[in-house]
Amino acid sequence: MKERKIPEPKPLFIERMNRLIPDTNDQKNYWKIVKTEPVNTIRVNTMKINSEELIKKLEDYKWKLIQPWKNYPEILIVEGKTPSEREREILINKNLAKLEPGELGRTLEHLLGYYYIQELSSMLPIMALNPKENEIFLDLCASPGSKTTQAGNVMKNTGTIIANEVSLGRMRILASNLERCGITNTIITRKDGRSFCRKIKEQKIYFDKILVDAPCSGEGTLRSSPKTFLMWNPKTIKALSRLQKELLKSAFMTLKIGGEIVYSTCTHAPEENEGVINFILNEFKDKIEILDFELPLKTRPGLTQWEGKEYDSRVKKTKRVYPQDNNTEGFFLAKFRRLG
Amino acid sequence: MTPPTEQLKIFSEKEKKEFIKRLNEQFGIKKIPGILLKRGKEKVFLFQGSFDKEKIREIEKTSFVERAGLYLAKDEEYGIRLSIEGTQILKNEITKNIVELSKDEMQTWMMGHEVLKKTGMTGFVIIKYLKDMLGTGKASEEKITNFIPKSRRLKDKSVEK
Repeated sequence: MKERKIPEPKPLFIERMNRLIPDTNDQKNYWKIVKTEPVNTIRVNTMKINSEELIKKLEDYKWKLIQPWKNYPEILIVEGKTPSEREREILINKNLAKLEPGELGRTLEHLLGYYYIQELSSMLPIMALNPKENEIFLDLCASPGSKTTQAGNVMKNTGTIIANEVSLGRMRILASNLERCGITNTIITRKDGRSFCRKIKEQKIYFDKILVDAPCSGEGTLRSSPKTFLMWNPKTIKALSRLQKELLKSAFMTLKIGGEIVYSTCTHAPEENEGVINFILNEFKDKIEILDFELPLKTRPGLTQWEGKEYDSRVKKTKRVYPQDNNTEGFFLAKFRRLG
Repeated sequence: MTPPTEQLKIFSEKEKKEFIKRLNEQFGIKKIPGILLKRGKEKVFLFQGSFDKEKIREIEKTSFVERAGLYLAKDEEYGIRLSIEGTQILKNEITKNIVELSKDEMQTWMMGHEVLKKTGMTGFVIIKYLKDMLGTGKASEEKITNFIPKSRRLKDKSVEK
């Protein structure tokens, strides 16, 4: 993996990350991998085409594809492509050339909605939540629609998905992605997630499954978005943590008894992760159960303390995904069931 | 901020029948499972989720519903123009007014250009390349007018197969 020039991380960010991953070797691996480009991954839109058929079509572009997980044949890593004779002369790895910038999104197959470009870790929340056919599913912070379209695929356009998004601009991206993917079971609403939940509860509409993929400081997305290094700010983390608690609390109250909810972020900041989970466990006490769940990659348990704060020990059931463990972006996931 | 008051227009059974009748005349389509809706004057959406009309109205009471279901077609003066997804979803229903393109024509079409081709048809036609459904065009004597939206166009012929 070739390192690239990226903005210098802020000292406080470095200090916090090094406290989160105290082992020096681990730190070294982390700081090395965040300077590299993320792996190209796509998800086959099984509503439109099957994996084998799409692989055949994409191999005609000389793309080298891998199916990393046996149980998820629709997930493909695009390693690169077979180099031309001329490229072969200058390449270190003679058998693999890099895709051109934007090449992944320029094919006929992408334009026709046969696949969706999605980072591996971003596919995890739907794997964890596992929505089923005919269920009623809420994606509270839905844009740009990666997880909504993934849920639409898993649910085979049955049941109903409510995809909510507060921002008008982001909602348009969501609508266009749902359209391209041929998702027909989704209603797109535009409202602040907190008031959406309040209103939906007044209408006595409850959900089988809910995803709160909350707005976050994005510390896990440094590989695809190095500008996050510049934008990172501890004040934002505090403000986001407040919003995340309110979103998760509001969403939980619209869950059916026995229904399940996944909370996820693409950040490592414990204030936005375990801090939020600790809050929700205290808030709903015996009405909530934190669940264990399986994911097809290496994860680490949630932290039980951070900056002098002790969290509920059940927080250990949450999962941290670090980029150096699986060559992905960073992520955080927690899963709950409503008991009462 | 005052929420928008315009509701989605949900087709009645009679309106749906009428719409399918027109699609049948144009493309041989006999059935469309699901609820048809309109946002604005022309855009028709297809919702195939489990919520019924009443439930969709209940959702509208909570927040602005940008859309329900998939953009299926545009109801225009000259007929109904199916979207790319509309042609894909109704693929097995479409039996007439289909134009099959060659590989070169497909690339021209997907780049957003009109295709110079005598089809012997006039009006809206379904565009197909091998198994791929590529939306609707408007055929006249010597060409097919293109409606592929900018965001769905091939940009660079050199990356094509």
